[in-house]
Order: sequence, then C-alpha cells, then structure tokens
Amino acid sequence: MRFSEATGRKLVSTTSAETVGKIDGFVVDPQRRAVVAIECKKTDSGDILLWSDIVGFGADAVTVNDAGAITEAPAGIDALLGKDHHLLGKRILSSTGDELGKVGDVEFDPESGVVKALNFAEGQIAGARLIGVGSYAVVVTPG
Amino acid sequence: MSRLMRTSELHKRPVVTMGGEDVAQIKDVVFAAGGGAVGGFALAGRGLFSGPSDCGLVWGAVAALGSDAVMIDDESVLGSSESVLDASAGSGGSGGDVMGSQALTDSGVDLGKVVDVIIEVQGPRGSQCDAIGYEIEASEALGTKGTRVLIPLPDTLAASGDHLMLPAAAKDFVSQDLAGFGAAVEAFREHLSQGR
Repeated sequence: MRFSEATGRKLVSTTSAETVGKIDGFVVDPQRRAVVAIECKKTDSGDILLWSDIVGFGADAVTVNDAGAITEAPAGIDALLGKDHHLLGKRILSSTGDELGKVGDVEFDPESGVVKALNFAEGQIAGARLIGVGSYAVVVTPG
Repeated sequence: MSRLMRTSELHKRPVVTMGGEDVAQIKDVVFAAGGGAVGGFALAGRGLFSGPSDCGLVWGAVAALGSDAVMIDDESVLGSSESVLDASAGSGGSGGDVMGSQALTDSGVDLGKVVDVIIEVQGPRGSQCDAIGYEIEASEALGTKGTRVLIPLPDTLAASGDHLMLPAAAKDFVSQDLAGFGAAVEAFREHLSQGR
C-alpha cells in the first residue's frame, strides 16, 4: 500500500462503530525501517495512533479497538514526530553524498508497517536501504 | 571508484549526518601534507538557527564526499576549526593559500595563475583526498593565454604562497576538462617516476 492512497482513510472504532478520525500522515522509524505510528486528524483526543494499536489496516478503513488508542504523542516515538521526520517530498541522499531525487511516495506493508520501497521520479529504492530521515534529507545506502 | 572535483564547487556544500540532518556547510577547504591532500574543512552554520559557526571537520571523520553533500556519521565528529588547522599543520601543511599564486616550472617559466584546486576523492571512506591538480589561468607559455586549463601535480610539490613549483614536463600534460584529466595526471606521474 502507498502513503498517498492511505492518507485520508477513516479510522473506525470496533467497539462503538464510529468514525474516530482520519489518517493524516505516517511516522516512520528509519532504524526499524517501518511505520511505527499514524498521525491522525479530526479526532476527539490526541493525534497519534501507535501501529501496535491498529486492529486492521483495510482497503476502506483502519480499525482500532477504541478511540482512546489515539493519544497525544506517546513516549518513545516523540523523537520521530514532526515535519523533520516526514518522508514525502524530501530529497533522497545516498550515503556517498549524492542526491538521487525526491520522495514521491512510500510503499509499505499494511500488515507489519514495514517500509517496502521509496518511490521517486527516476525509479524505486528498496525500503531496506533506508538509513536516516532528517530535516534535510532521507539518507539511503548506495544502490 | 574515484572522482575528481574542483574545490571551488565544495563551497557551501551541506554537511549532512546519516540521520538526514544538515548540520553545517563548507566554508573553506583546509589542505594538509604540503598542499598535497585535503586535511579537512572549515565549516559555517546553516540557516537562521545555525549552531556554532566556528567549527571544523577533519578529513578522517568524513564518511563520504559526494556531488551534493558531505556525509558524516553524526554531529559528534565536528570539532573546532583550530583542530582542523592543527591536524593539517602537524602533517606538514603550509597553511598558505595557493589561490592566486603563480605556477612556475622548475625551468623558470610562468604557466599562469592558480584559480582552483582539483581533488581526487576515493570511494566511500577513502583513505586520502589527494590534491591532484590545479586549474590555472593560462599564461603565454601555454599558447592558450587567458583560458582556464588543468595542470597535473606531482606527488609532492613546493608551494610558498607566491609561487608553486612544478616540473617543466607538467605543461605537456595539460587538460581542458575534468573528463580526461585523471588519465593525464596518471600519465604525468608515470612520466616523472620514469625520469628518476
């Protein structure tokens, strides 16, 4: 699944069957090369949903047990939050210091959250090559 | 894999950590080993919230020097700008600026004025970053007065800040562009070693 197609998808609680929010963005841990949380909007409580609290990542909705799973920045991932750690639109630098392009989209596994690939105009970079995501660039190992 | 670069291109190139943060940018290239190698970089801060502006980066701490960024492991490898100058001086750096000095052959012919330094970057974590040539504004002696040409350097050379001494043969190995320059440098150094 791609970030672009999943963004805006509704979050539904399995206990109340109500829509509790919408996907606004993704929090990626470059060390684990995986999506570790989802940034939400239109929620009642906070705006972060940990990946581990997701019941199902479906084609039409993402389900959670309870709206309470969406909280203010939980401990442990606050260092990964914010625009500085977003991937989309950021320049891609190889660890040799060469710019490869800009991140157009990110493909991830909806089961595990693992980043499978970074898409950019000139092609695709395997998610396993991801080293770091910072305010200036997404750093990947050379191909 | 090695590649050639002009040091003037390095100016303002960002210094980026493997975590993707641009922590500084290159202000100046510091040469070591009598001008024969890059000893490190003097850095300037980046942007409005730039940190300490007076810092340096020794060549040994550079993970890679690419065409778009200088890669380092993390911010902890940055030192003071003095540390770079000290480290370079310790290895025999003159500290003098070669830009603008006159390239003289050992036979006393003025080849032109130095306007840029060409360095050779080895693959990732290259052991050394050699200065392999100079770009000079050619004098009459080269027959292409006023144009910029690339001239290879021997392994070791003498430079005073005013003059740069080159073997007379250097003018037979002049290149017009970087593409063929690597081969010209090799041929030149080969030629020198045979002459000894």
